[in-house]
Order: sequence, then C-alpha cells, then structure tokens
Amino acid sequence: MHAWTWFLQRISAVILLIALGLHIGFLHFSNAGEPLNYSDIMARLKTPVLISLDILLLIFGLYHALYGLYSIFLDFDSGKKERVVVLGFLVVVGLGFAGFGIFSLFYITRSF
Amino acid sequence: MSDPLYVKVFRFNPESDVAPKFDNFEMPVFNNMAILDVVMHIQNYLDRSLSFRFSCRIGMCGSCAMYVNGRARLACRTQVSALKTQNITIMPLPNFPIIRDLVVDMEPFFEKWKEIKPYYLPKKEINEPVTVRPDSNEREFIDDMLDCISCGCCYSACSMVATNKEYLGPAALNRAYTLIADKRDAIRVERLKVVDRSYGVWRCHTQFNCTEVCPKNIVSTRSIQNLKRRCVLRKFGIFK
Repeated sequence: MHAWTWFLQRISAVILLIALGLHIGFLHFSNAGEPLNYSDIMARLKTPVLISLDILLLIFGLYHALYGLYSIFLDFDSGKKERVVVLGFLVVVGLGFAGFGIFSLFYITRSF
Repeated sequence: MSDPLYVKVFRFNPESDVAPKFDNFEMPVFNNMAILDVVMHIQNYLDRSLSFRFSCRIGMCGSCAMYVNGRARLACRTQVSALKTQNITIMPLPNFPIIRDLVVDMEPFFEKWKEIKPYYLPKKEINEPVTVRPDSNEREFIDDMLDCISCGCCYSACSMVATNKEYLGPAALNRAYTLIADKRDAIRVERLKVVDRSYGVWRCHTQFNCTEVCPKNIVSTRSIQNLKRRCVLRKFGIFK
C-alpha cells in the first residue's frame, strides 16, 4: 500500500505544480477588462476549463495534504487500531471537503 | 602555549547513578589533537573511570563515534582545531541505550542490520567469478555506498529513529540497497519486501541528517529514495 500511496503523492505534487501554475495564470492574465467586476469573474469561473482545473486542484491538493498528515502521524509509535481510526478520519475529512468543494463549484456556476 | 581546552563530558553509570551528570575537565592542547586524544588524556591523567570505546584510531572500525559539540562524529577523525572553539562537550550517541559514560549499546542498531540480511547470497545459475564492470552505473553507485563502517552516526542523527524505534534506520537501508542493486544477488526481491513496509523505507522523509553526519560521506538518503522507486517498480511488476 505504501508504495502506491507514495507514488500517488509524487504524481499529485507534479499535478499540483502544473495546475497551480495554470490557475494563477488564468486568474492574473485572463481578465476580461480592468477594473475587475463581479460578473466578469463569474463568467470566467463558469468556463469548463477553469472548473476542471479547480476540481483537479481540490482533489490532488486534498490528497497531498491529508497523506502528508497521515505520514507525519505514522512517524510516531502508534498501534494498528489508532492507525485505522486516523486513516478513517482523514478519508472522511477528505471525501467531505472534496464533495463540499465540488458542490460549491457547480452551485456557484449555476446560481449566478 | 595556547589556551587550554575546557571539556565537558557526559557521565552516567546506569548500575549506580540515579541520573546522568557532566564532569568538567581542563587540559592542554597538543598539535593535531583529535577528540579521541582528548578522552584518552582524561582517562590517562585526570579520571581513570571514564568509559569510551575505540579500536583502530584511523576511521576504519567505527567504534569511537560520539556526540561532540552537538553532532555525531568519529572521535579519532575529528580534530580539536576543526571545532574552532576551546569549549568541547562530549556525549554518547543519541538514539542508543547507554551502557556507561560514552559507551552505547549497539544492539538495536545491529538488530536492524540482521533484518535486511546484510550478506550477499549469489544466484545459483551464476558461475563465479562474476564481474560487475567498474564503469557500469550499477557498480559506480554501489561502490560509494559500500564504505559504511557501521559507526552508528547516521542512526543517531536520524529524527525518524528518534520518534520511532521500529524504523530500520539509514545504515541498514543503505546496506540493503547495495545488495538489492546487485543483479547477482539471489534474494533481492525478498530483501525489497523487508524494506517495503511502514517502518522500512517509508518512514524516511529525506531530511538528510544521516548524510550530513556520515564520516564516510555516504548519501544514505539517496539509497533510500532508490529503494522507494524499486518498491514502486515491484508493484508494477517491473522489478524482478
């Protein structure tokens, strides 16, 4: 299991670097006009490319952060029961935040 | 006459002392004086009860590793002048049980070595002598990593060993890598299975503490990272 999770951690790091670069690039260099106004930002946020990018950032950012936390937890002597509990908690937190984030993205784009 | 040395030495006898203490000594400085000369001077002229371990005096045996001025070092290879101070604090290696004063119990360290089977087992189909060409990448990397004298400096500097006593530690993992990278070895996959566990390679967070203190300049962190890659390759069925 560790080999896979470690490998995915490396993949997620590369994806985060690329996705973050694109995200920042979009936000700073694709302005419809100056000064920025709310409708322009919402129009930009509704583009499928940006939504896909944000979902990528959300999923891989959550995985990278939560796996990092779990890895730190493993550094300390802990029993199997504690490890299962912490892993379960982090999975629930990860799925919860991912679900909430994806829901928010679609909610915003449909509502405004 | 140069300024004297002020040496603070850790003292503890678990059989008779309730708690550790430090003894202070003042002594003259000699030319080319090493830390091993310092502790020998103390034992010969100032306090005969001081315990420490040494053997070869030339950085080959790995017996005299100590924690000198906040860093694990070989006492025989550390010149007093290189410390650039007249105040020296000498302690036993961290992460090891103390037997007495500066002598530590290396048993936990060598127990980890045993786990990875630190000896070469040739494949049956190979007819000796078999050569790994000196100019091959495989040989060039393995050669550098074979200089380990099992002094325990890396083990004592590793913060992962400090937090988790089950972790195999840099020296054992480095040794495992030198054997796993050797294509002539018969039990490479078995060795890889031993290190591919939570308290094997996966506890290393590439902090480079082991590399920083190694008196033989071995980059154990690199060996461990290479082991991690091989663990992934084994999962993909590429490493056999």
